[in-house]
Amino acid sequence: MSAKANDIKKNKSGHSMPSNIFYFVRLLFRLSPGLVIGDFIMDLLQIMPTRLISVIGIKYIIDSVSSGAGADRIFKAVAIIAAILVGSRCLAWLFREFYRNTARERLYFLLNKTLYEKARELDLESYDNPEFYNNFILTIESSSDNIQNLMVLVKHYVGDIISLITISSILFTIDPWCLLIIIASVIIFLPISRKIGDLQMGRRTDNAKFHRRSDYFQRIFYLQEYAKEVRMNGIKPLLIERYNDAATDVVTNQQKYWKKISTYYCIQETGIHILGFMFILPLYLGYCALVKHSLSAGDFVATFNGATQIAWSVNFLTVWALANFSERAKMIEKYRQFLASDSKIRDGAEKRTYREPKEIKIKNLSFTYPGNEEPTLKNINLTIKPYEKIALVGYNGAGKSTLTNLLLRLYDVTDGEIIIDGKNIKDNTVSGHRSLFAAVFQDFQTYAFSLKENVALDVDPNEARVKEALKHSGFSKQLKNGIDTELLREFDDEGVMLSGGESQKVAIARAFYKDCPYAILDEPSANLDPIAEYNLNQAMMEAAENKTVIFISHRLSTTINADRICVMEDGRIIEIGSHDELMKMNGTYAHMFNLQAEKYKNTTEKGDSNNE
Amino acid sequence: MPRYIKLHEDVKVPVLKNVVYALKLCLKADKWLMLGYIIGLTAEQFFALFIQNILFLKTLLTAIDTHGDFKAYVKYLVLFLICSVILNILEWWGYYMSHVATKKVLQKLNNMVFEKAVSLDISCYEDPAFYDKYQRATNIMSSGYFDIICYDVALIVADTLAFICVVATITSINPVYLLFLVPVLFVFAIELYKSRAVYRRDLEMTKNNRIKAYIQRTVFLKDYSKDIRTSNIFLVLMKRFEAAIKANIVILRRYGLKLFVYSMVSSLFSEFIPIIGTYAYAGYEFVFKSSLTVSGFSVVISSINSIKNATLDIAECFDELSQMALFFENLRSFFDYEPKIVDGTKEAGEFESLEAKNISFKYPTAEVKSIDNISFKITKGETVAVVGINGAGKSTLVKLLLRFYDVDEGEILYNGVNIKEYKVESLRMAFATVFQDYKNFAVSVYENVMCRECSEEDKQKAKKALIQSGAWEKIKTFKKEGDTVLTREFEEDGAGLSGGENQKVSTARLFARDFQVAILDEPSSALDPVAEYKMYENLVEATKEKTVIYISHRLSSAVLSDKIIVLDKGRIVESGTHPSLMQSGGEYSEMFALQASSYNRKEGEYERESE
Repeated sequence: MSAKANDIKKNKSGHSMPSNIFYFVRLLFRLSPGLVIGDFIMDLLQIMPTRLISVIGIKYIIDSVSSGAGADRIFKAVAIIAAILVGSRCLAWLFREFYRNTARERLYFLLNKTLYEKARELDLESYDNPEFYNNFILTIESSSDNIQNLMVLVKHYVGDIISLITISSILFTIDPWCLLIIIASVIIFLPISRKIGDLQMGRRTDNAKFHRRSDYFQRIFYLQEYAKEVRMNGIKPLLIERYNDAATDVVTNQQKYWKKISTYYCIQETGIHILGFMFILPLYLGYCALVKHSLSAGDFVATFNGATQIAWSVNFLTVWALANFSERAKMIEKYRQFLASDSKIRDGAEKRTYREPKEIKIKNLSFTYPGNEEPTLKNINLTIKPYEKIALVGYNGAGKSTLTNLLLRLYDVTDGEIIIDGKNIKDNTVSGHRSLFAAVFQDFQTYAFSLKENVALDVDPNEARVKEALKHSGFSKQLKNGIDTELLREFDDEGVMLSGGESQKVAIARAFYKDCPYAILDEPSANLDPIAEYNLNQAMMEAAENKTVIFISHRLSTTINADRICVMEDGRIIEIGSHDELMKMNGTYAHMFNLQAEKYKNTTEKGDSNNE
Repeated sequence: MPRYIKLHEDVKVPVLKNVVYALKLCLKADKWLMLGYIIGLTAEQFFALFIQNILFLKTLLTAIDTHGDFKAYVKYLVLFLICSVILNILEWWGYYMSHVATKKVLQKLNNMVFEKAVSLDISCYEDPAFYDKYQRATNIMSSGYFDIICYDVALIVADTLAFICVVATITSINPVYLLFLVPVLFVFAIELYKSRAVYRRDLEMTKNNRIKAYIQRTVFLKDYSKDIRTSNIFLVLMKRFEAAIKANIVILRRYGLKLFVYSMVSSLFSEFIPIIGTYAYAGYEFVFKSSLTVSGFSVVISSINSIKNATLDIAECFDELSQMALFFENLRSFFDYEPKIVDGTKEAGEFESLEAKNISFKYPTAEVKSIDNISFKITKGETVAVVGINGAGKSTLVKLLLRFYDVDEGEILYNGVNIKEYKVESLRMAFATVFQDYKNFAVSVYENVMCRECSEEDKQKAKKALIQSGAWEKIKTFKKEGDTVLTREFEEDGAGLSGGENQKVSTARLFARDFQVAILDEPSSALDPVAEYKMYENLVEATKEKTVIYISHRLSSAVLSDKIIVLDKGRIVESGTHPSLMQSGGEYSEMFALQASSYNRKEGEYERESE
């Protein structure tokens, strides 16, 4: 387990539940005070009038009538009820339609922007730690749902406390014994409510586990990627069998939990609502009214209506809300930790940017990925002269991409140093340093934005230079809206889907566009056919004339043009030199090159080599 | 291919027809989903809206009002107690049955979908419109929409029943009060209008919400993390994010007044008129006519609540059902889809020859033909390379041979018989294929190779194949060797393989099979040079004396073939052996020279050119 994961464990019990809830409510209040206050008021306006009317309003009218009060008193009461009802609804709906909806959208923006900016500063290493990824990123992804739920929960909580106090005190004035019976019957069954909560939680957890398996097999049949494979090799029966095994587990699990959950619910409801409120309470009320004659009909209705509401409030306040709060608090804890997490890649003292390439010196560099024991790079020494074109070659996993990651400060070296123009790259600010590099990665991405934004990877692209860059990378597809064409169909049905080769050309154009001294190209020609690959090689050398270029390739044919080739194996540079020098050396490079080249030699030579 | 699912679309579908279709489907799968909900919800709603709220109150209040006998009062209580307990048990029994049935229905429906999905033409997956619909149909399963539809229908049944009982009670007290309840019926219409407005508003916001989701995904996914750190794409993302939020706010504002008015009118009809009307009328009766009892008054007030709740429930259910109907419309058209690739009757026997006669093919949405009048013949034991640049039609040709698509013109003959006359499965099983976009499954390594549950004998065979494909080196390091499940998706001791290793495992499928003809579509794309070389040698070894069709844009692999077919823009521009093609000096020799030049350059030949 890596150090990072241990940190997470240690912090897990970092803040108490109330602390987390208050933290978040405060945060929301700071970002949007109007929304938080307004929401509370709106909720009270929605709950209280109907609840109060059903308890006090009815009692008041019934008692007035029984005591033979005049018409004016009754109609005055009706008028007040009407005014409260209309007024509260009107305010609530006005608030909802003219303020809350838009304020929520704005709040969502502010909250997420903070998160996104933090995510951008995260060390890349955080993404390699699956625990970090699952724990933080996935939770935060659902943050907007969680915020809404939390707001609803908090305001209901406050609303229910107010309503519980109000209704209880009204009932108390009617007959304290009634209140006692009501509260006693709810409290006796609280343990069952809690048990139900636990069971539901257990069911959800187990369900998720079994569903993960059945959902996987379901996906295979739903997704396009698997369609060909499933049709060609007769694996269908095996997959269907595995699906049914998993689905049967889901059914069994559901059966196991729901049998208990339904029984407990049944007991709880029978106890509170039926035995408590529909038997014991009316028994007592009836006794008072019919035998002792100490209770009016109005009191009877008010108590009866109040009982249901108190039961609901107590149950909500003690079981459901608490369970939900502790779930939300866990989410907020993650949120807080995420915002508080520190980057290891720190800014240096002074921001330096420039246009002309300088000498890059790598001294005794070693690097171990966090959580790994074996170093990925071991004692690398390399000096790259300005304007040099350097190729990195080697087997999968030799450490080529890692070296470029270190140059970009996506990771920091474990040992040794990288020096540019006599200064350690750690002395520059991170953003200043990275702005010096144009990088095209092996797993380059296309964005659902316009073509020009895809080339510039920046706002307000310079159109002339975008066109120039695309020309250099050999992108020749004619598009209806030119470089303003939106790519991908993500949210534009007219969006253009580029083929693998064309996408790669767009990615390469990024390196040509960015006005900076160094370029890093990882496998720039992997998706291209031979002719396109050849053209690209030519263009690349021309267009990158004013840059230092470091490129990684499997296809050794592309490396011939490099000034120097570094052959990497097992985290070390084992050979270095120009193509000719390395061929003469007759080492690993020559061996790899010959393997690839062999098939291109003419047929007579092929015959010879077969005889060997 | 679009991966998103449009949640809203302005399509009119017959709601009732689709709901009936959905219910029939669910009933067929497991009748307890529907029955359980009907029993549970009816018991619950009947108890809450009628027994507890009205009948109970009315009976007891009458007793108190008329100063009745306490013993009789207790008798009523006991009666209600028994009745309520029974209803409560029924309620939870019903829910239990439906909660279990929902998972059973999921399983049964999924099995139906799987069978159908496998019979779909590959063209369906490549047609964005169909695929979009298909994804929406499968949403019924992933999002549990079948459950929602049963629940909604059951709730409508339960609420209607409670509604009728409540109305009957009020009528027995004083039919005049029904007058104040009539407006509640309009609420139904108002709520439908309101939800339609909300729906239109959300529809307008769909695009912006999709942008918001996309930005969120992009910011957090590892795939984009490097770009975000090394370029200013983050600023572009934030710019789009802010623009989407602003656009949403404009839309929300525009609908504000309309929705406010709908909400007010709804409250007016569901609360103000009934509640205030009842109070006022009751007051009037009390004071001037003394005809209303306290119990009557309380019951009428409670009834208004019951009726309002039932009506709002029903309105909500109708709204939800009309949305669900859209999804089931898609499922229906999915099940009704007739594959265009029609099964033949013959079994594909021992391979003798494969011949294409003047075949042409155009993708349904394309403008130009992908394959344009091609003829060739491959006989037993030949190795044929199909080469050409990207988009020349190589992969399309493979799809035609495997009947993923049928030719538009001409015919393809297997052993002299049109391939359409064979059973599709039998024809496809005659070919062993390795695709460029290979896929492995989360089953054991051995099962991935054999594509079936493995006996001991199978495992030995699979192991041999894994050795041949070069995957065994890695597999043998696992504790459970070939019994290890691939991917860590849900198996803690599962294995995650790299791209190259994954490709070797899927290539082992070919070595393990007793095939007639092998089709290799760029089988070495994810491998490094040495691994590629070894893989190629093993393929040559495994396919010795077999018929092989090799698809590649790396011409190096073509050299050893008995015959090379050069495709360009869907036509065969050249064909022959490597020497003959090199001699003729056509397109092939040009391409070959270009690729070879990078490897064949002699010292100092171009070196200085670029400087």
